[in-house]
Amino acid sequence: MLHGETGRMFDRAINWAKNLVNSSGRSSASGLSFINTFTRFREILAINNQSLELIADANDKLSGEYIFDTHYIETTCIKISSLVEKLIFALDEMAPGKYLALHDAFNRIHYDIEDILAGRQPRSENRLIIPYSDINRDMGDEVGGKNATLAQVGNFMGIRIPNGFAATAVAFARYMEQDGLGEKIKQITDSWENDEIDSRAASSRIQPLILATKIPADLRTEISAAAAAIKKRTGKKKIFFAVRSSAWGEDSEHSFAGQYSSILNVPASKLCEAYKKVIASAYSASALEYRRRIGYTEKEVIMPVGFQQMLNPMCSGVLYTYDPVAPAREVMIATSTWGLGAPVVSGTAAVDEFYMEREPPHRVVQTKITAKLQALVQAENGGTKVIDIPENRQMVSSLTKEQLSELADTGLLIEKNFRKPQDIEFGFTHEGELTILQTRPLALKSFNAPSASELAAIKDRYKVIKEHCGTTAQDGIATGPVHIIHSDDDLKNFPPGAILVTKFASPKLASVLHMAAAVITEVGSVTGHLATVAREYRVPALFNCENITTILKERQEITLDAEEPAIYEGVVKELKYYALSEEEIGETYEYRLLRRVLKKIEPLNLVDPTEKNFRPEACQTLHDIIRFVHEKAVQTIVDQGYYHPHDPDTAAGKLKLGVPMDLVVIDIGGGLAEDIETGKKAIIKPEQIRSVPMKALIQGITNPKAWTNEPVPVDMGSFMSSLTRTFSAEITSPRELGQNLAVISLEYANVSLRLGYHFTMIDTYISDNMNDNYAYFRFFGGVTDDARRARRARFIGAVLSHYDFRIDLHGDLVVARLKKLDKEAMLKRVYLLGLLIGVTRQLDVRMVNEQRVKEYTQNLIELLEDGYGKQQNQHTYTGR
Amino acid sequence: MENNKISILILDDEPIVSKRLKPSLEKKGYLVETFTESEAALKRVKEKKFDIVITDLKMEGLSGMEFLTEVKKLYPDTEVIVITGFATMDTAKESFQKGIFDFLAKPFKLGEITSVIQRAEEKIRSNSQS
Repeated sequence: MLHGETGRMFDRAINWAKNLVNSSGRSSASGLSFINTFTRFREILAINNQSLELIADANDKLSGEYIFDTHYIETTCIKISSLVEKLIFALDEMAPGKYLALHDAFNRIHYDIEDILAGRQPRSENRLIIPYSDINRDMGDEVGGKNATLAQVGNFMGIRIPNGFAATAVAFARYMEQDGLGEKIKQITDSWENDEIDSRAASSRIQPLILATKIPADLRTEISAAAAAIKKRTGKKKIFFAVRSSAWGEDSEHSFAGQYSSILNVPASKLCEAYKKVIASAYSASALEYRRRIGYTEKEVIMPVGFQQMLNPMCSGVLYTYDPVAPAREVMIATSTWGLGAPVVSGTAAVDEFYMEREPPHRVVQTKITAKLQALVQAENGGTKVIDIPENRQMVSSLTKEQLSELADTGLLIEKNFRKPQDIEFGFTHEGELTILQTRPLALKSFNAPSASELAAIKDRYKVIKEHCGTTAQDGIATGPVHIIHSDDDLKNFPPGAILVTKFASPKLASVLHMAAAVITEVGSVTGHLATVAREYRVPALFNCENITTILKERQEITLDAEEPAIYEGVVKELKYYALSEEEIGETYEYRLLRRVLKKIEPLNLVDPTEKNFRPEACQTLHDIIRFVHEKAVQTIVDQGYYHPHDPDTAAGKLKLGVPMDLVVIDIGGGLAEDIETGKKAIIKPEQIRSVPMKALIQGITNPKAWTNEPVPVDMGSFMSSLTRTFSAEITSPRELGQNLAVISLEYANVSLRLGYHFTMIDTYISDNMNDNYAYFRFFGGVTDDARRARRARFIGAVLSHYDFRIDLHGDLVVARLKKLDKEAMLKRVYLLGLLIGVTRQLDVRMVNEQRVKEYTQNLIELLEDGYGKQQNQHTYTGR
Repeated sequence: MENNKISILILDDEPIVSKRLKPSLEKKGYLVETFTESEAALKRVKEKKFDIVITDLKMEGLSGMEFLTEVKKLYPDTEVIVITGFATMDTAKESFQKGIFDFLAKPFKLGEITSVIQRAEEKIRSNSQS
C-alpha cells in the first residue's frame, strides 16, 4: 500500500501475521480470507491518498505560479482517472458485485472529462436552459460569453444583475436540427461564400427560414418554465424580458458590437418568437459581412441567448472605466439618458456625459448635460415606446453625484475582477438601485504598453518598500490605498479597491475579497482557504510577508507585484499599464481547461453516509467516488471481520474506552490477549490490547485532557453565524458517521476513524527493529467551513513536524509520515497521534483565528511532554 | 549581450509556456524572443546568437534534442535549459551529455526557472569578464 519502503514493511508485517495464524489457505464466504480483504483495503487507503494528493496538486497549479501545459492536464486526468478505476476494482474484490453501479458513475464522469479535454461539450451536460444563478465565467462555451460574464458579476461580485436565464449552445444546436434548419442555412451560406449570391440575398432567404421553423417542444417548455420560475420568485403578475444574443466570439477580440439583436420588453408568452428573432439576427446582411471581414467562419456561428427580466429604469447608460482615446488621463466616462439605454448604446439619442476621476472619491471633472427631449420606455403590453420628457426635466442631469460615485465604484470592482478596462451597460431603477446589464472588455486604442526596458528600470525609479518577501498565493499586480484590518470591525465598510493588509490570512477576509485590489498578510498558507478564494477571484495575494502591518500605513498608496514579489510606494504606472495590457493568464485556454476538468474531479458532494444520496448514482465527481469507495471499504472490513466473521483466525470485538468513541477491533495476530472472548457482542478492555502501537495510541486517545469539554469561547456567537447548517451537528455531539475500525497485530495497527466529519487514518508498525518502524497518519476534514478545516490542518501539521514527521499539507488534507525511529521514540509519537485524535475532534470550532493555531500547538506539545510519562506510569507500560 | 542585456530564446510548441514566461522575464530586464515551431526557432538562431536558449524536447518536426544539438554546435557557450513534460532519466542524461545548463520537468514554478536563468546569467557574465 504505502509507497515504497513503508509498503514493503507492511508486506512483511502481513506475512508475519499470516504465518502466525497460519491462515493462508482459508477463505471467507466472499472468497477472500480476511487477510486478503484487508490487503485490498490497505490498497484502497493508499490509492485514496494518492488521488487526493494529485487533486490538491492540480488545484495549486491555478495560482499562476506554475508553468504547465495541456500535456500536464491530460496526464493528471489520466492518472487520477486510472487511480479511481483501481479503487473501484479493489472495492469490487472486497465486496464482489455489490457496487457495480460505480462503474457507470465512473464512466459517466470519465467520458465528461474526455469530452472536456477534447474540446467538446461534456455529453452529460446537455442542459437547454440554465438559470443565471448557476452560471459562472468558465461556462462561456455553454452559455456564451455575455451570459457568462454577466452571471459572474452577479454571482461572484455581489453586484445586482437582472434575474434571468440562458438558452445554451446545446439549445441552439437542437434548434438547428429541427427540420434540417442548420443544413438549409448552410446551403445558402455556402453559395454566399462562393459568391454566387450577395449577403443581402443570403440574408433575405435565411431569416424567413429561421422565423418559420418551430422551436423544438422541449426547448419551448423549458423556456416557459424558466420564465415562470422567475415570475413566481418575484411575485409579479406580469413580467417582461430582454432577449439578447450571447453568441460565441461576441465580446472577444472582436466586439461584434451592434451586429446581433436584443429584443426589449418581451412578454413571457412571446419569448420563443423573440428567441427566433435573435437567432435570425445572426444572419442579417451586415452580420454576414462583418464575419467575413474578421475572418470568422460560418460554422463558428453558435448562438446561446440570454433572457433577462426587464428593469424599469429611471435612467440607463454606459460606463467606460477608462477613456479609450486617452487612457493616461485616468478618467472614467459615463453617458446616460432617461428611460431605457438602447438609444445610448446605439448612439441615436442626446445623452448626458460625465468624466470622473478613476481614483475614489471619483471627482467629476467634466459634465455635459444635453436637452433630453424624449425617452424610450417600456410599453405596457410589451415592446417599447417613445415618450416626451417634460420641459423641466430635459436639462436635469440624468445621474446624481451619488449615483455617479456608486457607478464608478462598481465599475472599478468589475474591472478589477476581469482585470481589464470595461465597457459596462447599466440602469438605475426608480428606487435608485443600480443594476448591471452587460459588461465587456473595452479596447483602448492608443494604449501604450510599457516597454521591457521601462519595466526593468522600475526599481531605480520607484521606492521599493519590500521585496523578495513572502509567498505568492495568487499572481498579479495591484495598486491602491492600504487598508489595515486589525479586527472584524475593520471589515465593515471595506473601501472597494483598497489593498487589504493584515496579520493572518483569516477565512473571514473572504467576505471582502471580491472588493479588495489585493491582499497581503504576515501569516498564511498558499494551500489554505483564503488562497483558494483569492485564486477564484484572481485577487493578487502575498502571504507570509513579515511585519507588513507595521511597515505599511493606513491609506498609503502602494503597488503590489505579487509575482516578483515586491511592494512599491505609490502608483507604479508602468506596472499598472503592464497589468492592463498583458493577457490575463487565468483566462488562457489551459487555465480554463484545468478549471473545467477539475469541476468534474474535485468537488465533494457525497459526505454523510447516512444520507439517502450516498449512492454510486449520486456521484458527480471523481472525488465523490473516492469518498464512496473509502466508506464502503471500511464498512466491508468491519462487516467481514466483526459482524459476520468467517475467518476463524481473526478475533474481533468492540473496544470499551473511557471516551465517547466506539471502535471495532479486529485482531489478525497477537494483537489481543489470548484469553479474550470475541464475537459480535464481545467487549474488549484497553488492558486486553497487546498490540504495541495500538496501546500507545489508546493511551493518547484516552488522555482525559484531550477530551475536555470546556465551554465554548465567547466569540463563538458571531463566528457561528457564518457557518453552514451541518456544523451544529458537529459541535453538539461528535456524531459517528459510519464505523471506527482498528485492524491490529502485535506490532501493527491500522486505524480508520470518523469523528464528526473528520476522517483519520493511521497505519503503523513498531518493533524492536528500528529499520522496520514507521507511522503514517492522514487527516482529512469533512463538510464544514473550509477555512477552519485548513487552519486545523495547519495546527496538526505544526505539531507533527515538531516531532519529526514529514508533512504534506493540501488545504485540509494532512499527510504525515515518519520512519526508522527507535521503539520508544515511535511509541511517543503514536501516543501523540492519539492525543491529536481527541483534541481535533472538536478543535475546528475553536480555531477562530490564526493565533489559536499557535496556542493550540503549544498546548498540545505541553500536553504530550507532561502527559506521556505520567500516563505511562498509570498504565504501567509493559512492552510485550 | 546587447547593451549588457541577456537575450533569451524560448521554444515550446505549447504557446502558454511562452505566454507565461515572456512577460515575466521581460519585466526582469531580459530580451526575450519566443517560438512555437522548432524550424522557425532554428532559422532565428542561425541569424542571431542568444545567451540563453530554453527549449522543450518533444515537438513536431525537428525535436528539441536535435534543436539544442544544433544550438550547441553553433554556439558552444550559449546556455541551454531544457523544459519537458516527459522527463525521464535517459532524456535528462542525454541532454546533459550535450552540455545543457539545466533540466526542468514540467510543470514547474515560475520561481524555479527564474532562479535557473539567474544562475546561467551569472555564469555567462563571469565568463565574459574572464
